[in-house]
Amino acid sequence: MKDFFYSKKFKVLVAVAVLLGGIMAWAGANGRLASAPEEILSAILAPFQQGASAVSGGVNGLLDKYVRIDSILAENEALKQENWELRDQLVEYDRLKAENDAYKERERLEEDSPEYTYASAFVIGRDPLEQFGGFTIDLGTLDGVQTGDVVVSDQGYLVGRVLEAGPASSKVMTILQPGSYAACVVSRTRDSSNLNGSSQYASSGQCVLENLSRDTLATVGDEIITTGLGGEFPPDIRVGTIEEILPEESGRSSIAVIQPGADINDLKHVFVITDFETASGQQAQEATSGAQSQAAG
Amino acid sequence: MTSRRKRNLILVAKWVCYFVVLLLAATLQSLPGFLQIAGVKPLFILPVCLGVAVYEGEYPGAFFAIAGGLLWDWTAGRVSGLMALGLMVVCFTASMLVEMYLRVNFINFVLVCGACCLLVTSMDFLFYYLMPGYAAPAQRYLTMVLPMSLYSALLSPLAMIAVRWIAGRFVPDNQ
Repeated sequence: MKDFFYSKKFKVLVAVAVLLGGIMAWAGANGRLASAPEEILSAILAPFQQGASAVSGGVNGLLDKYVRIDSILAENEALKQENWELRDQLVEYDRLKAENDAYKERERLEEDSPEYTYASAFVIGRDPLEQFGGFTIDLGTLDGVQTGDVVVSDQGYLVGRVLEAGPASSKVMTILQPGSYAACVVSRTRDSSNLNGSSQYASSGQCVLENLSRDTLATVGDEIITTGLGGEFPPDIRVGTIEEILPEESGRSSIAVIQPGADINDLKHVFVITDFETASGQQAQEATSGAQSQAAG
Repeated sequence: MTSRRKRNLILVAKWVCYFVVLLLAATLQSLPGFLQIAGVKPLFILPVCLGVAVYEGEYPGAFFAIAGGLLWDWTAGRVSGLMALGLMVVCFTASMLVEMYLRVNFINFVLVCGACCLLVTSMDFLFYYLMPGYAAPAQRYLTMVLPMSLYSALLSPLAMIAVRWIAGRFVPDNQ
């Protein structure tokens, strides 16, 4: 046993473990989840993830499709070749339709909010251990995406923000994540408050509006939108609707359970707002860099 | 000389195959909605690393687990090194235990893989859910962590078959 612990291999393994600890400490000290090798690897892995994501829709229904193809082949063997050709065309059609839909949504969003610059992105990765709907998209710094950029759904509902941007892919933190504050207002009553994720409601895809006044006139079904205050989110982005209003534990205020307009746990396609004007007329990138320098200070 | 060169080529080919399988596992694991049942997705990286550790021994297995763990950290945007460290310890220990006490067969592999998945997912649960003080931890553990470990263990024979095939296909001549 003594020889085992004094063996060269074991010493090398311990040294590597210490090195990994160092990498973790470095990443933590620099306030970054990723390190330089990670950025390189994410660039290498992005095509794999994109390719796999492209076929993922088909993979989920693979069994059904094969069963169906088998029955068609059995019933009509002579049409096999034609069937395959039609299927190829169908796949191509689906791809073109998805692209077309994405471009249409983008055009609609750009018409609604011409002051924003949108970039179309597909969801290419979701970690099984991710608890609050976070995901990876196929756009990175090479596409103009930066840390802190706002992410919205096809229909323009708020999804979250870019947590970390790599060269070819980016990690998105959703509004379901506790601590992901966004200044919001109840559209009808103009009650302003902070939108925050909640571990209690995240599993059902909901978040909460905190510190609402006890005598708020907001009711179930009211729309929630961002205010743009703080400069991190653009104003007037739709978030979702009030599902329930509950008294807070302290009894001094209320919280509203919000059903986001976007189905965050099942998103396939999103838009990244790469540039916008804040409520005070400041460009988003200036606001973000200002906030980052404040945080660093 | 020729024989040694051939042997090295076979070894290189074997490890290249292992890494290709690892890349495939990482891609499938991060694929949105892939084999998802009631919000639970299986783990693929850990069973592959465990398979390599079982078939190649504790030290190669530990180093391969470091690579797998880093890949997991990087594809999931986690703190670099945390999962690498976890997988290294788990695969090293599991490989030694299997070598000393167990025969390598499907049932034992599923059981060991289930235990390892439970350890790793519990570690993640501890650091990222329990310690930050989020609500309803017991419910989360019972509805997400345990089913994920079970689901991953049930699918782990796929990883074992792939690793066993590679280990059996690339055997250097004993000269």
